[in-house]
Amino acid sequence: MEVVPTETLASAAPSVVPGGDVDNVDAWIEMLMDCKLLPENDVKKLCDKAREVLMAESNVQPVRCPVTVCGDIHGQLHDLQELFRIGGNCPDTNYLFMGDYVDRGYYSVETVTLLVAMKVRYRDRVTILRGNHESRQITQVYGFYDECLRKYGNANVWKFFTDLFDYLPLTALIDDQIFCLHGGLSPSIDTLDHVRALDRIQEVPHEGPMCDLLWSDPDDRCGWGISPRGAGYTFGQDISEAFNHNNGLNLIARAHQLVMEGYNWTQERNVVTIFSAPNYCYRCGNQAAIMEIDERMKYTFLQFDPAPRKGEPHVTRRTPDYFL
Amino acid sequence: MSEAAVPANGIETGYYVPKRRILSQEDLKRFEASPVYADYMGFLEQLNQAVLDTPTRTECDRTPVIDHLVTLLDTLKQWCDEIQPDEHRTRFGNPAFRLWYDRLTERGPELLKGLVSDEAIPEVARYLQESFGNQERIDYGTGHEANFMAFLLCLKKLSLIRDEDARAVVLLVFFKYIEVMRHLQFSYWLEPAGSHGVWGLDDYHFLPFLFGSSQLRGHKHLRPKSIHNKDIIEEYAKDYMYLACIQFVNSVKTESLRWHSPMLDDISGVKTWDKVNQGMLKMYRAEVLGKLPIMQHFMFGSLLAFDGGSDRAEDEATCGDHAHVHALGQELPTCCGMRIPSAFGAAAAAQDATAATHARRLPFD
Repeated sequence: MEVVPTETLASAAPSVVPGGDVDNVDAWIEMLMDCKLLPENDVKKLCDKAREVLMAESNVQPVRCPVTVCGDIHGQLHDLQELFRIGGNCPDTNYLFMGDYVDRGYYSVETVTLLVAMKVRYRDRVTILRGNHESRQITQVYGFYDECLRKYGNANVWKFFTDLFDYLPLTALIDDQIFCLHGGLSPSIDTLDHVRALDRIQEVPHEGPMCDLLWSDPDDRCGWGISPRGAGYTFGQDISEAFNHNNGLNLIARAHQLVMEGYNWTQERNVVTIFSAPNYCYRCGNQAAIMEIDERMKYTFLQFDPAPRKGEPHVTRRTPDYFL
Repeated sequence: MSEAAVPANGIETGYYVPKRRILSQEDLKRFEASPVYADYMGFLEQLNQAVLDTPTRTECDRTPVIDHLVTLLDTLKQWCDEIQPDEHRTRFGNPAFRLWYDRLTERGPELLKGLVSDEAIPEVARYLQESFGNQERIDYGTGHEANFMAFLLCLKKLSLIRDEDARAVVLLVFFKYIEVMRHLQFSYWLEPAGSHGVWGLDDYHFLPFLFGSSQLRGHKHLRPKSIHNKDIIEEYAKDYMYLACIQFVNSVKTESLRWHSPMLDDISGVKTWDKVNQGMLKMYRAEVLGKLPIMQHFMFGSLLAFDGGSDRAEDEATCGDHAHVHALGQELPTCCGMRIPSAFGAAAAAQDATAATHARRLPFD
């Protein structure tokens, strides 16, 4: 564990797209906002550029306010577009996404491609963290792999993205006060420096601190508990209080759990859960929310409902192989 | 939760509480080549064949065993009506489901009295116990559904279900089970366990589509594409499980089928129900029985016997269904809610080359 953290503070300098092709990326973003897939070659180029950008980021990526913090998206591209209508377009609004871009929804490929393209285009204004679904193993179970096969006819795009996921930062720190991550705390981590010292460039392991950050959940019970998920832990208010106190934090913002109002305060406001996929999987009836943090670190929650789908999805019908 | 294999009187009966034995891809390969796999699939194919071209409301012979099972399932459904969902909830799954499950744990074995011998109850009840979802996570998936099939297969092995009962097993018992499950899913908002989201057949089930497509084989005018016709669904859902599943998914989801269930939409383009049914069998083998994340939780005992797997598969899972993960630095895990030592001890343990790095089950989300 000898990795030296490379802190790249967000700077006011204009973004430079690696490879220098801003127009290209803008054109990609436009296509994706229109729900259109990028050609496989372009996805490869995009992922190559994104790797360079993400590689330079810290495990605890510093972020400055104002910024809007978002939770799980899960391929619900139309609702992500609604999120931008509610929260403002990038780069007018800075965004921090806390993972789970893929799996289960109809448009995981388009969603993750869009967010990665936005990251490449506006590297200092968009932060994208890793969720437990940004993993080779999980995406093979929960839909992203199937979707890539179905939409591209092969698994190359799945491979480009899952290779890229290894570079996503694990956590972010807003103005040294709000600690943002997908899942929660780990019994193996007491300080932010412990997080900084992790070697994150790997598949999400089955256990250990990196796994916990992406899998853990807050719980009503005190102390650490076994997670019924089979990965990560549950942690009580005593744990989050101590962690916030020891690290000079005000709040832990995390995603990972479906909450009916889109956001949910727990543990005496030491922890907040944010979930940004409304009516999850077309049936959960939940609202989505995002947390706006202004330049004085005041936060406001904006809730939103699913965007109406117009017409039918433009993905052609294909008989699954089993039925041929 | 895993009770003693030996009954209270201490006499060895040959029955024992089933255990998980599949931990790795190699275990799974051996399972797929095993007699118990052939038994399971054989049973499924027999049931599938028994409802060929058979509407749900077809009269079939009821035996006392069939009646017992139907009554048992009605009781479980009634508990669901008695145990009201909590009004206040912030998460999706309703915690009242845990109370329903407590009752199942407590009274499940009782419900089997008079059906199977007392000696066999601990073994058979274990499958029933796992058939309705996960108490802690408040979720349900095809692995739980497979446990119900395993439960029925045990009854077949005990000669309580005969070959000639196959049709009644599907139409009366299995479809009643689906009715109970829909009730539980609806009342307690069970989360889908391991769902592929829009890319799966259904958030929860597989087998109703398998048996349901067999029911429609040879039908004079209903075709796979008929699922898009509202009037047909309305009229025929009572008699054809496949259509009842379409009706259910349309009723619980917003937007059109094409949005929320592209797989079902794709399958509607298949020409004949024969093809659909064959496809369902292939898909079940590959997507359920061939998937480690599901089969890691499948249990084996004396009735559904399998020696090929791993003996230590059960080691880390003695607390209900959830794994006893060994936290770094934690020497003696006790049970849920225990405290785990600080990061310093943990870091020291991480350096320990002997720290367990054995295969782990794929977690749930």
